[in-house]
Amino acid sequence: MSLNEITVKLDSVSKSFGEFTAVRELSLTVRAGRVFGLLGPNGAGKTTTIRMIVNITAPDSGSISLFGQKIDPKVQDRIGYLPEERGLYRRMRISDQLRFFAELKNVRGKLIESKIDEWLARVKLSEWKNKRSMELSKGMQQKIQFITTVLHDPDLLILDEPFSGLDPINVELLKEVVLDLKRAGKTIIFSTHQMEVAEKICDDICLLNRSQKVFEGSLREIKSSFGRNSVAVRCEGGDGVLDDPALVSKVVRHADETQALLAAGADAQILLKRLIDSGAVIGKFEMMEPSLNDIFITKVTEAV
Amino acid sequence: MKKFLAVIKREYIARVRAKMFIVSTVLLPVALSLFGIVPAIIFSIQTPPLRVAVVDQTGKMYAELRRSLEGDSSDQNTQPDNTNQPRGLPRGGFGAFKLEEVNTANQSLDDIRANLDQRMRARELDGYLILPPDFISTGKAEFFNRNPGDVVSLGALQSTLNRATREQRLIDAKVDNKTRRELFSPVSLEGVGVSGGSQSRNANAKFALVFGVGFVMYLSILMYGQIVLGAVIEEKETRIAEILFSSIKPFTLMMGKLVGVSFVALTQLAIWGLAFSVFALFGVGVLASRNISVRIPGVPLSHYFFFALFFLLGYFIYATMYALVGSMVTTAQEGGQLAIPIILILAVSFYLFWPVSRSPDSPLAFWVSIFPLTAPVAMVVRIVTQTPPFWQIALSLLIGFSTVLVIMYAASRIYRVGMLMYGKRASIPEAIRWARQA
Repeated sequence: MSLNEITVKLDSVSKSFGEFTAVRELSLTVRAGRVFGLLGPNGAGKTTTIRMIVNITAPDSGSISLFGQKIDPKVQDRIGYLPEERGLYRRMRISDQLRFFAELKNVRGKLIESKIDEWLARVKLSEWKNKRSMELSKGMQQKIQFITTVLHDPDLLILDEPFSGLDPINVELLKEVVLDLKRAGKTIIFSTHQMEVAEKICDDICLLNRSQKVFEGSLREIKSSFGRNSVAVRCEGGDGVLDDPALVSKVVRHADETQALLAAGADAQILLKRLIDSGAVIGKFEMMEPSLNDIFITKVTEAV
Repeated sequence: MKKFLAVIKREYIARVRAKMFIVSTVLLPVALSLFGIVPAIIFSIQTPPLRVAVVDQTGKMYAELRRSLEGDSSDQNTQPDNTNQPRGLPRGGFGAFKLEEVNTANQSLDDIRANLDQRMRARELDGYLILPPDFISTGKAEFFNRNPGDVVSLGALQSTLNRATREQRLIDAKVDNKTRRELFSPVSLEGVGVSGGSQSRNANAKFALVFGVGFVMYLSILMYGQIVLGAVIEEKETRIAEILFSSIKPFTLMMGKLVGVSFVALTQLAIWGLAFSVFALFGVGVLASRNISVRIPGVPLSHYFFFALFFLLGYFIYATMYALVGSMVTTAQEGGQLAIPIILILAVSFYLFWPVSRSPDSPLAFWVSIFPLTAPVAMVVRIVTQTPPFWQIALSLLIGFSTVLVIMYAASRIYRVGMLMYGKRASIPEAIRWARQA
């Protein structure tokens, strides 16, 4: 699969429910083999966009193509979808459920049995294979749900808030799995409102806000385009300097360090000099890329 | 198609394995036989006989009344030539009487009544009957009763009086014993069906058969309609629907569920049918060993084929209506309420059995056997009573099964849109709009 291959392409897609427009004139391109972050606050239109991609609901206007062709049931089988609203059959055994969901993707036979064992081992739930899902904890059920998404070896994975509700150990476990899948050449659409998580795994992003696209492009590009205008400072004393509006436009004080966003035209070197002159003892002074969160807020306020 | 089969398989296995299935398979026949046995037991509970005093001012009625109501044939006034008259009264149990004659000589009626009232208050007596002197001509009498709600005893008394008075009037008219016996001899009427050149003489058995088919249909729909409803709501409640819809069309999913549940129903019916046949064969064997011949209704084989078809039609039509309800609601409780009209329609279609069997070639019979909601029962009745032309049967089946597909199609569209709007129950206009958009 070459890097230039396009897995998903939306062309000015709109969808409304009655009066409410969920997605307005949205165009985006997901390249093969990349992790594509579909980002935005709650209600931005992420889930509706995904539902149109997986053919649960059809767009009112615009077109969607998957793997270079229009959506049809055959193409659906190449997608693995983990919706935000999750659920399993309560009284069904785990192995039976996994087999059923694989059958719904037209995968059956002996191969599936060994894959079920393989995946259960990978997420450390092998001993639960013959239990009913109602006996599992919520986090375990979520991992089972994740297996249903990947069991049929899809080329495109769509994960809607895959890590919500998991403890840090399991988040790490699933993150590793996702990155492995990327290495195996899968395309992954990753939807979340948690910017910190997206920042760590996405290659490309699309920011949505109020049904519309705010920004689309590679994470690297957007970060470098914003430049290094943020400084992480850990120092004792010199507080007055950081509050000077001519140098610093915004100060965020964390527990162990302070993040200062430089004012337009201000120079980090001057800030450092002023801090030293004011007699502050500096433990850390580091130029930072803006966080995705900052970028998002800036972009959204720009758009307004 | 493979996905369709996967849904059927899952639905079938999940339900047949469930404890509910096993329990209901065993318990329902037990419950049904209890329905048969318990009333018999209740009716056989011995209640003390009703103590009734009879003030017979005609002087002619008491002996006959006592003979009829107490079944006391040792009474010397018994007329032996009346013994083969039909008797409508059970002996013992309900409607048992203990009669006594009140001596009316030298007392005014008011004194007698005061005395009897006194005895009733003292609980020595449950009631008294006053037959005035002109009773045989006017037929008017009064029964004073401590328990006016006891309509069973009143009815028994009335019908016995009726018969005894009629008898007495004939005696008074000087009709001899032999003529009286002839006058009361019952008739025997057998229904003989005429179709083409052949005659069939087992109308009653056929009637029972149709009733049986209708009743089993009614019962299965009532039971399995709820299960279909639950099956459709299940994915909504567990939020599985979204994953399913990313893999399979809602129509395929719903159809698969319906067929899966219907296989469960058929499995259960087959188990019951088999158990019943074993019992029935055993019963026939016992009867045959006692030289009692049992007539099995002689219905052409083609009729059984039609029974099966219309049984399936009835099941699918009502099951899809349950599915439609399931697609509109979010919880099983809501579904139960919304499903009540379906049960009403089902009951109406079952009661249509009566007018249709009385005039199977009337316009009413024709239309209700074509209209999909009433067709399953009505057409079966018509086929057995007066088989309609084949085109009517075919038309009824065609319209019926098309209706199933149309309802399923609408239901699956409503289901899909409803799923996208969690937690909201669809009003009827909304449901129509959802079915159009989607």
